[in-house]
Amino acid sequence: MNRSSQSIDAAGRRGFLVRLIQGTYAMIGATLAFVVGGAVIAPSFGRREAMWLHAGDAEDLTEGTPLPITLRVARPDGPSEVVDRKVVYLVKIGSEVRALDSTCTHLGCRTRFNPESQRIECPCHGGVYDVTGHVLSGPPPAPLRAMTTRIDHGQVMVQV
Amino acid sequence: MKALADWLDSRTGYRRLLHHLLYEELPSGTAWLFTTGSVVTLLIGCQFITGLGLTMYYVPSPRLAFDSVRFIMSDLPLGWMLRGLHYWGASFLVVATVVHMLRVFFLGSYKAPRELTWLSGLTMLMVILGFSLSGYLLPWDQKAYWATTVTINIARSTPIIGEAIANVVRGGADLGALTLGRWYSAHVFLLPAALVVLIVTHIALMRKHGISGPIEPHAGPAVLFFPWHVIKDTVMIAVVFASLITAAALVPAHLDEIANPIDASYLPRPEWYFLSLFQMLKYFPGPLEPVATMVIPGLAIGFLAMLPFLDRAAGRHPLRRPRRIFTAVMAALGIGVIALTGLGVADRPPHKDRNDWGLLPIAGMEIATGDGNTCIRCHENGGPAAPLAITRLSKDNEWLLSHMADPVVIAPGVRGTRDHAPPPVMSRFKAQAAVAYLKRVHAGDPVPAHVDDTVKLAALTYAETCVVCHRISGEGGTVGPDLTVVGRRRPEAEIHALIEDPETITGEPSVMPPFGKRLKPEQIDALARYLASRK
Repeated sequence: MNRSSQSIDAAGRRGFLVRLIQGTYAMIGATLAFVVGGAVIAPSFGRREAMWLHAGDAEDLTEGTPLPITLRVARPDGPSEVVDRKVVYLVKIGSEVRALDSTCTHLGCRTRFNPESQRIECPCHGGVYDVTGHVLSGPPPAPLRAMTTRIDHGQVMVQV
Repeated sequence: MKALADWLDSRTGYRRLLHHLLYEELPSGTAWLFTTGSVVTLLIGCQFITGLGLTMYYVPSPRLAFDSVRFIMSDLPLGWMLRGLHYWGASFLVVATVVHMLRVFFLGSYKAPRELTWLSGLTMLMVILGFSLSGYLLPWDQKAYWATTVTINIARSTPIIGEAIANVVRGGADLGALTLGRWYSAHVFLLPAALVVLIVTHIALMRKHGISGPIEPHAGPAVLFFPWHVIKDTVMIAVVFASLITAAALVPAHLDEIANPIDASYLPRPEWYFLSLFQMLKYFPGPLEPVATMVIPGLAIGFLAMLPFLDRAAGRHPLRRPRRIFTAVMAALGIGVIALTGLGVADRPPHKDRNDWGLLPIAGMEIATGDGNTCIRCHENGGPAAPLAITRLSKDNEWLLSHMADPVVIAPGVRGTRDHAPPPVMSRFKAQAAVAYLKRVHAGDPVPAHVDDTVKLAALTYAETCVVCHRISGEGGTVGPDLTVVGRRRPEAEIHALIEDPETITGEPSVMPPFGKRLKPEQIDALARYLASRK
């Protein structure tokens, strides 16, 4: 074996070691990134389970007049828990009962039902909706969000 | 890519720095023993990264600290592994640091001109122990609370300024929110900052003086750090990291019950690395206590700090003169620590069985979740309070007991204006049982899948009468005998007779009143049968 083949040998060994070192640290890094990154990112994509709440009774509703109902929605909040309040309008239209989320679709203010004008109004930027949630005037880009409802033995159940 | 790297290099000169870092020439014969420092560096890195993940979820407040750790352990995907790595990493780090120190000691690497390298390393060991100490208070479980109480009382035993030190580390007269806040801040800001400064200093000093190399200089050409020594570091690091992952995956990090300042029966024990100090306290009672808390640890640290200044002769061999004497002191120190740790481990108090629920929590389960429970009136979806499944125990015992006795008083507005039903009232006995149940669930103890009707009856009876004086599995009064293993002492018939009228068994007037007339026969049957089964 002459000198040059020895140094080629050494260069090959060195290259192998470098790759081994890089590979090992890449694996350690990937393991840590998986555990830490996973734990950090996972809750960002967690979904809250939907639940049905009793919002009111069908017999209490008047045709075409929204009835504001405050729902209490309990949910875990990280290590703590909170009970949120959510206002929905129950509107009876014919045989159907709709539940409208009272949050304005413009910038998220809480809307109010005005019994005199028979319209739902947003106090922030002047959005106006009709009793079925359609936009009549103002900046809101979309109708009030309709929530899934069902009627169980005369009880209006709303999915939140 | 190459163009970008060239540009970066022209602006930063990073290649020169990299070259300086990687292509250090090491003395010939530098071997595996010189990989201990790299292992410490890896573990510190792991602690930083996993700690970063944990701080996103941990809440440093007595109300939520325990719940946030529980959330990490049970609700957060991969959270158990994250905490497992951090928890085990702490133990691994203490071991690796001590191994590194011993290596430096036995090879005489601390000798001039490396005195300051040794001192910065010793300071780092203290900082790492500081991390461990502040770290195990954070989960705010029983162990955290009581071990910290002991630590602070040790600090208080310092002559003259003890009381002042204790107040500063507690942040006030009592252990509580202020203590947790400052220990947390120390753990995540102060100590890491100190550690980073120390690591940079330590490595810079190491590079300035070069590594000490083998005890007797080897003939032969110098070895380049990269890749010829780095490969050894890497193999060691891979082995240690694989062990860490295995430990964290197989043995989940420990979490006791939530801290309970009024539970005086808890026997606090520190983590194993402080066990030797803890054990030593037992041999120096009363006025001699400062010998164990101050004098002996002070002498040991003083010896280590002075070592490079005491040992000034040239020879590095640990068993040859003049180093023999130091080796002997070091060996004595090591044997002392190991022996005390061993004695401490042997002295371990009986382990609490998380599957043994005793009777009080069973009664509580029946009260809180069984037929006719009143909690669900409010704790339900859409109700004024969150369903029990997601309710946390963020209030203290007194609050919980008062809340259960009369939910309306403690939570105004719970009863609607149209609701004229009488307030749901729970007796304090029942409330205590319910709290015991919630605490078990809260601590993550496995809920019994099926409970016999007899046991249910025994539990409810116990929770309303016997609990005042008798303890089972850590819950209940201490006036009467502990009944945890009463089945070993007495057969069923005897227990039955004792409950009906103690005098028939003891033959003399007893402190315990006869229950023959106060309890129904089936209640006594159920109690006797259950108690006899406790062996």
